Amino acid sequence: MTADLAYRTATDLAGLIRARTVSPVEVVQAYLARIDRWDGTLRAYVTVCRERALDEARAAEQALGHGAPVGPLHGVPFAVKDQFDTAGIRTTSGSRLHADRVPAEDATVVARLRAAGGILLGKLNLTEFALGGTLTYPFGQPRNPWDQTRETGGSSSGSGIAAAAALAAATLGEDTGGSVRSPASWCGAVGLRPTWGLVPRAGCVPVAWSMDAPGPLTRSVEDAALLLSIIAGPDGRDRWLQPARTDPRADLERGAGGLSIGVVTALVNSPDTDAEVRGAVRAAAETLRGLGGRVEDVDLPLLPIAGAVFMALADGEAAAWHHPTLAARGADYDPGTRRRLVTAALLPATLAQQAARARAAIRAQVWDALARYDVLLAPTGPTAAPPIAAAQAPIVSRAEAGRRFFNRRSYTTPASLAGVPALSLPCGFTVGGLPIGLQLIGRRFDEATLLRAARAYERATDWRARRPPLPG
Amino acid sequence: MTELTPDQVQALAAAAGLPLHDGDLAEVTHRLNAFVDVLGALAAIDLAAAEPAPAAPPDPGPAPR
Repeated sequence: MTADLAYRTATDLAGLIRARTVSPVEVVQAYLARIDRWDGTLRAYVTVCRERALDEARAAEQALGHGAPVGPLHGVPFAVKDQFDTAGIRTTSGSRLHADRVPAEDATVVARLRAAGGILLGKLNLTEFALGGTLTYPFGQPRNPWDQTRETGGSSSGSGIAAAAALAAATLGEDTGGSVRSPASWCGAVGLRPTWGLVPRAGCVPVAWSMDAPGPLTRSVEDAALLLSIIAGPDGRDRWLQPARTDPRADLERGAGGLSIGVVTALVNSPDTDAEVRGAVRAAAETLRGLGGRVEDVDLPLLPIAGAVFMALADGEAAAWHHPTLAARGADYDPGTRRRLVTAALLPATLAQQAARARAAIRAQVWDALARYDVLLAPTGPTAAPPIAAAQAPIVSRAEAGRRFFNRRSYTTPASLAGVPALSLPCGFTVGGLPIGLQLIGRRFDEATLLRAARAYERATDWRARRPPLPG
Repeated sequence: MTELTPDQVQALAAAAGLPLHDGDLAEVTHRLNAFVDVLGALAAIDLAAAEPAPAAPPDPGPAPR
């Protein structure tokens, strides 16, 4: 019973709570029970706000009893990546350096979810400072709910776990180069990176200013659209923000009929892409064709270098932010983070400028393709979740460094470099039972069409109904 | 650009005031040389018309308060 309630979508739960079929207290208790049962192993949470969440649930229940007007998330427990500031609750960014940092106010996105009636259940684990490559997690090694020897994807690791394993009704992550989409793919959730400039970054510890994009990780496309509708739009603190041009939920149930869909062959057919992943993504394209979409292959030849271009630029931005702390307290960083930041800090300026020019060329290819197609379709990553041990092995050659750090990032970073929205949702499972992620990429500020395509695919398949093997 | 040696990387890090700890030097050297390989190869691509600029909207709103 607890699991059945916990696996309901946030949209369902909000409806059940409004109808007083279930109480917010019952819902919060259901998630706390699952956290107690599973989080000692999965390590999705850095901080669980147990008493505060129960207090807020009781208040939410009373408000319903008084007939007070309620928001769209009234009584629904959510959790956020520990990169988002929360007033009075420590915000660690997954680092020992911020282990005792307690912000005075909520990040804009947290404040908006709470104003919509959501109940903050806790803060979610991540790779240190939302950079990938953490070797030793100070708040516990995140583990994939489908196979606990496997990686979760990052940097929004806990957000992916909590969404997929029903340790929260919905979660929030932050995507710089794939940090929402990768954990969504490997954990079997829906993850949405919004258009850069749509969702406020205020109160979010930065990774790379020119690419950071807060976004939801959920168990359904409808929930991703709901959360986006709550968190999007200017907040007066970020001059690059623009209002949403349409309600992201506007076209959710319109189906795929008439949509033009470009299959990104540079990624689908890449030798780095596992055969099982390629097969699942090609099958997804056929499903969308069967739903009335016009599906064609599209050639974007620069995309395979996107991972290296992204790391040269985003890591450079991150290194600039971290430089004073890195110089003074380098030993307090995880070695994986420190090596990544030092590398970026030492990259010759001429190469960084070449990367900036390559970014412009990649962006032009993506934008030109999106002038011809409503959405682009690709794998979210080249493989399903790899073993945790593989990511912790030492780097012993430049060729291996390239393979480990650049190649897989070329799948998610084109959207980041181009500033366009992208979404990952489950499109199958490997023979070993690991989720495979389908990535859809849309036009700037046209999340409505992106979510429409994703919802049409989700509705036509039953991948969403599968649950990780977590009894009880 | 040619391959960077560990000694050169050590000197660069010292000049930048950045610490290298146990195991860092070899890995940072491999990582930097991987960048040199991939980004150096961009010289073969015609990027003459590619003006580097952030993916920002052309019409920023008012200054933050």
